[in-house]
Amino acid sequence: MAYVINASCVDHSDQACVQVCPVDCIWGDLAVDRKLYVDPDACIECGSCESACPNGAIMPAKKLRGAAVDFAWIDATWFSDPDAARQVVDELVPAA
Amino acid sequence: MDAVAATPRRPLPPPRVREAPTAAPNALIVEREDVSPSVARLRIRPDDGVPPFKPGQYFAVGIEVEGRPLQRPYSTASAAGETDALEFLLRLVPHGELTPRLWALRAGDRVRLGRPKGLFVPDAGDERRAVYVATGTGIAPLLSMLTSALPETDLAPATRRPVVVHGVALPRDLAYRDRLEALDRAGRIRYVPAASRPADPLCAGWAGPTGRVDGLLAGILADAGATPDATVAFICGNPGMTDAAGAALRAWGLPEEAVRSEAYWTTGAGGASDSPIEPAA
Repeated sequence: MAYVINASCVDHSDQACVQVCPVDCIWGDLAVDRKLYVDPDACIECGSCESACPNGAIMPAKKLRGAAVDFAWIDATWFSDPDAARQVVDELVPAA
Repeated sequence: MDAVAATPRRPLPPPRVREAPTAAPNALIVEREDVSPSVARLRIRPDDGVPPFKPGQYFAVGIEVEGRPLQRPYSTASAAGETDALEFLLRLVPHGELTPRLWALRAGDRVRLGRPKGLFVPDAGDERRAVYVATGTGIAPLLSMLTSALPETDLAPATRRPVVVHGVALPRDLAYRDRLEALDRAGRIRYVPAASRPADPLCAGWAGPTGRVDGLLAGILADAGATPDATVAFICGNPGMTDAAGAALRAWGLPEEAVRSEAYWTTGAGGASDSPIEPAA
């Protein structure tokens, strides 16, 4: 079960997770994206990103609850259809 | 049933269009030494040279399995500035997904090596006396830190020497024992190896400290003349040890910021994993 980056990352994108991910599975286009995304096919579940995130935005997918469950879909989808993933981020966390 | 499976709010994503992670080998194993029946030392030479890295960092080491990369992070034991090859400690986890495959590799075999990663690195310019506390293969990143910081010929006053505490189940698992004992004899560090299974027949003849390292720390630090206001600790090993040793050091007087640790993980999938993140002792 891969890790997922939830709403707490939106409009922060601190990138500490990127610095620690041993397999480079966290991506995002900071010119466009409001958050970062974990590639569930590459994540090895080491939890380094969860420990490093200053915003507490990363957790195993199985711990997601309520509307946050959609972030598992968002992260997985970004790697094949980034526009669709971004649209759902905007739905769940409207831009200020 | 977990939360994700219970609430399929949206259709599954379409097939991937992004490039999948590569497993193509890019490094050669140039040396392998079995430290014990379950710990090996590997030296791996990247095809494109050793990249710049900071002491304490890890690299993903992997191989291709059924067309996909299978990799785990391993802390290098090499000192910063190493240019020939990177050294790693591998602990065999008999039922692990990756380590039995890595364990079968020999000098001449090729692997996939990732980029240096991780924030478990000493602060530049920190002049405090370092205390390194490890269990098992957790000694690797601490050796990297120690040897990166140790002057070539310095004979430090006894109360300034770095302290290295290495706990293992059995003495045979003490990787780098000869090297660390030599540094201790030369008066450059204080080295304290400890065995946690003194009753085991394989511990016969062991005259050093016994027990868990967290229980030994206060005595070791007092004996070494360390003071909490001039000490910084680096802890690496299994999560239970890093938590307990951190608590022991804070109780001894170290402030929170002076207790740095990296725990080797176990996966949420129910099995022990095997790298910096594997149970280290």
